[in-house]
Amino acid sequence: MWKETRDREFGNLRPNSFVNRIATARLSSIQLSNYKEIVSSHRGSVDSLQVDLTEGRYLLAGAADATVAVYDVQRATSYEGGGLIAKHKSVFVINKQHENGHRYAISSAVWYPMDTGLFVTGSYDHHVNVWDTNTTQVVQNFKMPGKVYKIAMSSQARSHMLIATGTEDVQVRLCDIASGAFAHTLSGHRDGVMSLEWSTSSEWVLVTGGCDGAIRFWDIRRAGCFRIFDQSHSQLGRRPPLLSRIAINKKSLAAGQSSNAKVRAPQRRATNGNALKAYSTGRISSHLKTTKQRLHPGMISSHDRATGHYGIVTGIKGTDDGMYLLSAGSDSRLKLWDIESGCNTLVNFETKRLQSTKPIQMAVSDDSTLAFIPCMATVKVFDMWSGQTKWTFRGHYENVNCCWYNEQDHELYTGGNDRQILVWSPSKFVSDDMDDCRKGQKTADAVDQDNWSD
Amino acid sequence: MGDLQPSTFRKRPRDQKSREETDPENVAESSRSSSFDEDFAFSDTLVALQMMRAQFPAGEKVPVRPFVLRSQLYSSVIDRTQVDRDLESLRRDRVLRVFKLNTGQDDHAIMFMDDYVNQIEGVMRRLEEKKQNDVTVFEWFKMHVIPSKLDTSIGHEELCSLMSLGGVVKENHITQLINAGLLVCQLIDRNMYWFSIPNIGSVLKGLSQGRKELLSLLNRKRYKEMLLATLEKQHLRLSPLDIRFHLRDLIGSGHLKTVQTPSGLVVRVAKD
Repeated sequence: MWKETRDREFGNLRPNSFVNRIATARLSSIQLSNYKEIVSSHRGSVDSLQVDLTEGRYLLAGAADATVAVYDVQRATSYEGGGLIAKHKSVFVINKQHENGHRYAISSAVWYPMDTGLFVTGSYDHHVNVWDTNTTQVVQNFKMPGKVYKIAMSSQARSHMLIATGTEDVQVRLCDIASGAFAHTLSGHRDGVMSLEWSTSSEWVLVTGGCDGAIRFWDIRRAGCFRIFDQSHSQLGRRPPLLSRIAINKKSLAAGQSSNAKVRAPQRRATNGNALKAYSTGRISSHLKTTKQRLHPGMISSHDRATGHYGIVTGIKGTDDGMYLLSAGSDSRLKLWDIESGCNTLVNFETKRLQSTKPIQMAVSDDSTLAFIPCMATVKVFDMWSGQTKWTFRGHYENVNCCWYNEQDHELYTGGNDRQILVWSPSKFVSDDMDDCRKGQKTADAVDQDNWSD
Repeated sequence: MGDLQPSTFRKRPRDQKSREETDPENVAESSRSSSFDEDFAFSDTLVALQMMRAQFPAGEKVPVRPFVLRSQLYSSVIDRTQVDRDLESLRRDRVLRVFKLNTGQDDHAIMFMDDYVNQIEGVMRRLEEKKQNDVTVFEWFKMHVIPSKLDTSIGHEELCSLMSLGGVVKENHITQLINAGLLVCQLIDRNMYWFSIPNIGSVLKGLSQGRKELLSLLNRKRYKEMLLATLEKQHLRLSPLDIRFHLRDLIGSGHLKTVQTPSGLVVRVAKD
């Protein structure tokens, strides 16, 4: 590593490739951490984990015994083993005894994306609470018609403060923190909504995965969804870059046999030069012609029965670049979708079984090459484009529900039914250990000397 | 390709392997064991499909033309993503068709197009022998629906519109198709039909029972494992399909795994 640092200094190595090499080396050495531990203060299975997006320092965990806890993952609260193992206890815990706390299991807890002053929790007791972090008091409360499975706030939002909630009711509700009321509802799913996420590229786009197996894209400024993923629409891998795509399009449009091909989106390509598969709305327009019904444009999507999975969609995760979406279903399949074309990229992730009754939270590395998926009692790391299992992390005693990848430290936090939050980190750099070997200075070195403030 | 004897499936001694490898039928068998040896990777999906189709048992007990399960392909070709993509392009080229089976999660059967057309013609012949209603609806189905609709399912309106290219479609035509086993009503949605293989019912029952029997056979063992060589000689009572079929299917779906040992390949129940 020092040779590479010197190369970068002299300009022989580009800074980007220097960073990538170090990141790859660290990622490939991830294992159950032997120098860092989070002391879980939960007495129920950990269902939701999130590190705040602004600083990357505080881990918010929601558990099935209605407790919410925040852990500082950069600063340890105590040291053990002669200063070698850092223990992180919770900064605060909120449990059932809190006057406005939740009564039943907390299924989802997210930070307010702009700063860590607020966080939002959704629970099976049909409530969504907005908490003030410093005073640990509930500032707002929203009542839902059913159990809340998932809540999300957009990290790209510049003009709205909406909380999207997916419940066992068929409608997705948007709650507004600014006004304290519901903004609007999105209908179209035929069963509850177990997973939802805001798009990483647009503040107005929401992706939801329902218990009916459908994955829908909603633009909240319009009624109805504008895209539904159909698992029979597939493309072979990545789409080619723009210039070659235009050449292929010209060929296929001339030879196109499908009469339902939409003309509005000429950028869509067909692999193999075969007929363009009709968009779902294209099919719907022909359906409408035969039944001679006039429907509101927003309700057209409710007739579309395309499904992304043969079962419940238990988790969705978009990549940071906003181009691809991973979805996990109760049919134990993981699918990678190309968002722009709406097709399944047919990457086969070898999963024998996935949890089918609870929502799972997956993670993707920041360069979108690795996917961290909780598969029953293990966490499997898949290569995103070949679908091969790179590593399997075995450490939990029972099913793993959620995982979160911290890009800053290349660490993975996982929470499971065994009430533990485990930390998986790259192995410590050898020379650091050698420096700490001086006796009598161990505890002093373990304490970070840069940790001071006026 | 004729029906291969079960003995060719057993792993041959090393010195014969180089001779055997050139023979395309034995390529399969040596690759079947050597894909776990990592001697060479079996990289062509179409060759794997043809090999497995050749090994499909035929006879009165199995009234269905050869089909291959998707999990079997996963166990004989190393790269699963490549399998998916090859299947997709072969399906679009109308070389084969994919059917969704109702035996458990995400089971798919792959059948070559000519086998499927032969199966439909067999159904037509049987109905004509019994002098039942006219078989024109099957002709329409074969000529209009099969070549244009390549998916595993079809909607009611689309089915009617495609069949009306052959003639006037009446309700009892659809009923005839369902009775013959070519279409199955979907449980979730009454207007959608799954495509299905006629006469496959008994085979599917045998498939699920055979899977359970094979898994229980291995689970009863003390260490839940058995040598592949002895396992192949076993005979399954409840399934008309042979044991190689079930082995490949269970290995591909992840319920069993094979381990290389000094005394040969050992099949073990996967616990994960």
